[in-house]
Amino acid sequence: MNHPLASLSRATPVLVQGASGRMGRRHMLLMRDYGTRIVAGTSAREAGGSIEGIPLFAGCAEAVAATGAIASVCMVPPLEVLAAATEAIAAGIRLIVTIAEGVPVHDAVRLRGLARAQGAIWLGASTPGCAIPGQVKLGFLPDVALRPGPVALLTKSGTLSYEVGYRLAGIGLGQSLWIGVGGDAVKGTRFAELLPVLAASAATEAVVLIGEVGGTEEEEFAAALSRAPLGRPVLVLLAGREAKEGVAMGHAGALTYGGMGSLASKAASLATAGVEVCGSMQALVDRCAALLGRRG
Amino acid sequence: MLLIEADGKALFRDYGLVVPNGVLVTERGGLPASLPGPLMVKAQVPAGGRGKAGGILRCADTAAAAGAVDRLLGTSLRGHAVEACLVEPVASGRECYLSVMLDAAAGAARITFLAEGGVEVESQAASLGPEATRLCALDATAMRMALEAVTAGLPPLEAAAIRQAGQGLIHLFLERELMLVEVNPLFLTVESCIAGDAKVVLDLNAIHRQPALEAMILARPRLYADACRKLTEGFDYVELDAEGRIGLITTGAGLSMMLVDELVARGARPLNFLDIRTGQLRGSPARLIRVLDWIAARPSVRVLFVNIFAGITDQREFAMLLAEALAANPVRGVPVVARLVGNGAAEARAALAERRPDILLFEDLEAAMARAAALAA
Repeated sequence: MNHPLASLSRATPVLVQGASGRMGRRHMLLMRDYGTRIVAGTSAREAGGSIEGIPLFAGCAEAVAATGAIASVCMVPPLEVLAAATEAIAAGIRLIVTIAEGVPVHDAVRLRGLARAQGAIWLGASTPGCAIPGQVKLGFLPDVALRPGPVALLTKSGTLSYEVGYRLAGIGLGQSLWIGVGGDAVKGTRFAELLPVLAASAATEAVVLIGEVGGTEEEEFAAALSRAPLGRPVLVLLAGREAKEGVAMGHAGALTYGGMGSLASKAASLATAGVEVCGSMQALVDRCAALLGRRG
Repeated sequence: MLLIEADGKALFRDYGLVVPNGVLVTERGGLPASLPGPLMVKAQVPAGGRGKAGGILRCADTAAAAGAVDRLLGTSLRGHAVEACLVEPVASGRECYLSVMLDAAAGAARITFLAEGGVEVESQAASLGPEATRLCALDATAMRMALEAVTAGLPPLEAAAIRQAGQGLIHLFLERELMLVEVNPLFLTVESCIAGDAKVVLDLNAIHRQPALEAMILARPRLYADACRKLTEGFDYVELDAEGRIGLITTGAGLSMMLVDELVARGARPLNFLDIRTGQLRGSPARLIRVLDWIAARPSVRVLFVNIFAGITDQREFAMLLAEALAANPVRGVPVVARLVGNGAAEARAALAERRPDILLFEDLEAAMARAAALAA
């Protein structure tokens, strides 16, 4: 299948935008230590130089031409994400992961439209990234929670997925793939759009989806799953039962007003699609153990 | 975040919409006698469903309105303290509905017009046809065309009035980078319309390039307490229960939300939601001390619950900052339950146990939650 997330592997050549910043430099090296094939960085300040052997370029076009990078991890501040991602997509990047928290929603709408028009996949606006454990990670998913295994983990939240991934890994249930879609209202890739990637993942025996209050993404996922069942169990955890109406709880997308985006609406749609909605983190972990067995 | 109606209407007025000529009353007895009835008295809280909750009252005369204001001020409505009431002359005309929003699922703008307004519009939105609602690109031309399409069935004078108001909303939406502007009801007479309500949701991520909106929020530090805190402090702290018993020191929005849910499910009362962002502490306990000061301001707090999953941050550094912050503000000496896991956690727990043997340290979150809930009971 021709989806850049389905073909992501340790062989994928990766570019880091904003490579000489504090965050960019640190995470570029952590990603490389994990096994990611980092082939280039971009830096307006240090173009022509290198960081621990990774060449730095002034822009994406030069970096892609020189190294053949097809994925980019964009580590620039939130108000610069639209311009940087636009540049990467124009240079031919097919998978772009943006990390910054706080990208304006109107920028996200424009970037989503652009990525789709160019056939690129955008994860973000604000995501901890994605990984094929044991091979490659794009972003800053913590190594302590990453472990190869049978569970495909899809998540809006970073930290809640770390906690769940860590507990599952602790009973031997690692991940076939881990994809953070981010907690933004408007984003590059929504849960439902990942169903073809899940369907193509032979290593996936079960799916764990970590959603939260706000928006309609979980409902869309349920509808899409009903149309195209995976034939593998799907377990869901939903955060934000006690969220305060009208206030974004840390994530811009976790904003409820009126009945929209309520947990009751999500749980009802998911149940209709045959998905198990678990009441707590431990209940989810226990269900995974029951379905898949604890593995050494 | 949702603005109160009075602020939404101020934005409407800036963009050429007609709104009733009202006054904002913040004190009992503060309604000027010069305003003749009949009047609408509307509690100004940033939440939907105010009418059903009893926060919107129609009053026949000024005396009745003054009484309504006095009754509403100081009460709690949909989880928010009523600190202001908007008092306006009753508008008349046919009730319509007009909105401009970001459709997050489609990643596009959406323009909706209904010739009949009313309080239940939101629940029918999904079943509307293209004659009532249109998706379009996020630009003025596409949005104007969508507005014309959804008002195409109206008589010419009415269509012109709605389109004029709609154009104002579109410009407001684009220039202020909003997520929703909704008028429900929009009162339509033969050739003009008046915005009876204003629901405006703004994007806090864009706020630093929207100085007028930033000033609007900062001007109401009590009403928009959570947003003001985010703007001035750079992180998220949301007070959930002013009489909560568990003060939370947590990082990560999703995990913090889930902790609140699970503590409530155990019968506990968390005071707050917090995403402190350990990666931004940069060696200083200042942010932790700020949070401890807010928590300490609530006498109901019986226990502090620290939960940090460190993917990247070094727990040893965090543990020392926590010890420093607790030395600066021990929150009346309430017990501290701390669950530290991840990068350097074992060493961090050992170092913290030596420096602060009174802190109850955990590796397992379930055990830590049970202990915190028990201490708060």
